[in-house]
Amino acid sequence: MVETIPMLAPLLGSQDLEKALMYLLCLDEGYPRQMARFSGSTLSALQKQLDRLESAGVVYSQLLGRTRLYRFNPRYPFLKELKALLEKALTFYPEAERRALLMSRQRPRRAGKPL
Amino acid sequence: MKAIAVMSEAELAAYVQQHLLKRGIRVVLSGGTCVTIFSKSAYVSGDLDLVAEVYARPKEVAAALAEIGFERKGRVYKHPESGLLVDIMSPPLAVGGEPVKQVWELQLPTGTLRMLSPTDCVKDRLANYYYFNDRQGLEQACLVVAFVEVDLAEVGRWSVQEGQEAKFADIRQRLCEAESARRHR
Repeated sequence: MVETIPMLAPLLGSQDLEKALMYLLCLDEGYPRQMARFSGSTLSALQKQLDRLESAGVVYSQLLGRTRLYRFNPRYPFLKELKALLEKALTFYPEAERRALLMSRQRPRRAGKPL
Repeated sequence: MKAIAVMSEAELAAYVQQHLLKRGIRVVLSGGTCVTIFSKSAYVSGDLDLVAEVYARPKEVAAALAEIGFERKGRVYKHPESGLLVDIMSPPLAVGGEPVKQVWELQLPTGTLRMLSPTDCVKDRLANYYYFNDRQGLEQACLVVAFVEVDLAEVGRWSVQEGQEAKFADIRQRLCEAESARRHR
């Protein structure tokens, strides 16, 4: 779990919203349970923010089996600027939090392979 | 006034728009139904994507639509007499990274329909092709070009602006063929 220090929460009005956005910025995609576990938010709080972001067209979701996967919506007209703001805020995060977000494993791991 | 059950997509969109406008909510028709209208129903969408020009609270939208019989079903609205779903989308009204500068108006028996222009409709469909590899988006764009006049030079400029020059080069021939088909119709 990564307990992030909110940098944009006063502007965004929600720590959970910042956590959801930061997760997607650093890891490109995620499903609510995974995002909640990673960021230390409750599932319901994170889900609420993802719903809000999807309604606003900032993110989109796709069902993969029984899992709903969220990503930034490439059609969102302010996406470039939003990402630039998040990138800037990320540079203000403490090193440990920043590393946890940026160094999370993304490459595939073959089934059955031990860690 | 026509009964909702027999309204076309365009007529229902105009009717909903007019009613929302009375409540101070300005929306513009976007999405697949614009293709339906321009292609004279060669493609049928099944839902009305109405983009709010200015943010409106979901509660206010729901209350306004309830006045004309629409019920909220999850994120969309449905009228018991119509199979069409109405989706009220958040602003901004945009095609990719650019705002829509001019809204088309169409006079219909149920009111004035405000919608994307043919050129913006093609951009809107191509955005799905560019960003989500949605082949249907490309087919819809070609369909619009085959039926109505579209400024392909502007579509090209916009595609470059979106960083999609290579993909536009790949589909340019198809768009030109669709344009040629319209001219020879």
